[in-house]
Amino acid sequence: MRNAVRIAWREIRWEIFGDRSAVLRMGVFALLPVAFVLTNRGARANDLALFTLALQSALFPALSGVALIASTFTQEKENGTLIPLLASPVRDIDIVVGKLLGMIIPVFAICVASVGLYFGLASAQYGASRVALALPVPILFSLVVVSLLYLLTAGSWVLIVAALVKTSRAGQQIAGLLIGLSVIIFTGLGFAASNVAGGWALVALGAALVISDVFALEIARRVWRREEVLARI
Amino acid sequence: MIEVRDISRRFGRLVALDHVSFKLQPGEIVALLGPNGAGKTTASRIIAGILAPSEGDVLVDGISVREDPNQVRRRCGFVTDQPALYERMTLRAYLGFFGSLYEVPDPAKRATELAVMLGLADRLDARLGSFSRGMKQKVAIARGLVHDPQVLLLDEPSAALDPETARTLREFIVSLRARHRAILLCTHDLDEAQRIADRVIVLFRGRVAREGTTDSLRAAPQPTYLLTYLGDETAARAALARAGVAAETASANGTHAVRFSANDAATTNPAVLRALLEAGVGVLTLTREERTLEDAYFAIVSQAKQA
Repeated sequence: MRNAVRIAWREIRWEIFGDRSAVLRMGVFALLPVAFVLTNRGARANDLALFTLALQSALFPALSGVALIASTFTQEKENGTLIPLLASPVRDIDIVVGKLLGMIIPVFAICVASVGLYFGLASAQYGASRVALALPVPILFSLVVVSLLYLLTAGSWVLIVAALVKTSRAGQQIAGLLIGLSVIIFTGLGFAASNVAGGWALVALGAALVISDVFALEIARRVWRREEVLARI
Repeated sequence: MIEVRDISRRFGRLVALDHVSFKLQPGEIVALLGPNGAGKTTASRIIAGILAPSEGDVLVDGISVREDPNQVRRRCGFVTDQPALYERMTLRAYLGFFGSLYEVPDPAKRATELAVMLGLADRLDARLGSFSRGMKQKVAIARGLVHDPQVLLLDEPSAALDPETARTLREFIVSLRARHRAILLCTHDLDEAQRIADRVIVLFRGRVAREGTTDSLRAAPQPTYLLTYLGDETAARAALARAGVAAETASANGTHAVRFSANDAATTNPAVLRALLEAGVGVLTLTREERTLEDAYFAIVSQAKQA
């Protein structure tokens, strides 16, 4: 797994932090909670609103991560930079995991920071005791875990798409579709999590994401065999 | 060193390679020639262990690319026509990254060595995106050499390079031959192949159309001779006919030339000269024509098309 770590570190150091526009895009998502809280002044926010904003703080950066993963893979294919990597003595699984980690780790860090920032700002705006009651630690933790699982699942599916399509445009379009579907699901989830089955909807989503993760990673591993990817370059 | 054993590769219905076999020894430069779509890139990718053959096998240092592709990759350096660099990285970081993937003992030191060797020492900490096309191609070559491979696979390495950089690259490739590296050069540049290749393999529609040393391919099936002379063209033609030679004639600036084929030069050439002198034609030169690799290549491809 050392090579997966090397590949992941290269992605983080040079493709995320070496790209000012990527840093800026992710920074915008990290600042979203500020906008959410500031646009919900006063004590009008009810528990559902507090939860929905927390959910959005956790998942909006993750949605940007899906687009990032899609563009990274398809651009590598288009630019031919994947070929030297495929020519090196690195196992296929190390390439897949390395690339995925390289994208997921920074985006997940932004998700955590975003939730933390939202919690701090909401506590200041609506009162710490009220926010602590509406968003207990297990719920916050669940949100962070769900965002990680979502990143893993969506990232793996995007990875499969990136292996199958030839152009970054096609990859981006399919990633856009995936993001759109996710937004619809998460919007409904805000309501469901607070009103249906006492928060069990989050657990159900987590379980569904875990199952989807397993399937997606296995398919990604099979699809990302060197000869298959290369045949499509 | 490299033994390509009856490999075929299909992409759906397209047969990119069709039962191709050849060998490559250490200290040898072999040029893989052929028109677009002949299968050169597919062959080099299979040897490099990044594309599996549909049939057949490739042995690199006795290791099967089917059984242990990672060990094959360790032994091969692969350079493509496009530099394909991570342009946000610095040269030092880039070579260090690939050095670490190949488990080079001290990747940072190796990066510096290669940069010095390729004349890029002063650019070690510059981002690759700021490099010229020629410099980027040098970086791609450095990447291919980062683990000091025994086998170097070069796919159009001098494409889009200026003549000076292309020459530097040629000299560098030749220096690797002196270090007993086996080098497979896929190229469209027939002049480059003629200059540096020891052997040539011509691929056509996925098959080996011809294989041989550069000299043997250049040797024409029937040697041709060029004779230049001063004097009356009609008299010269009549003299050549008397000598029993069918010749093509051409004239420029008062000097005439004839080109003729002769299987037995020791008999034909003196007869031609004697006939011309008797006709009062002043012979200036008589030389054997050297066929270029380009001439030979077109003749081979033309034959393959007809076959």
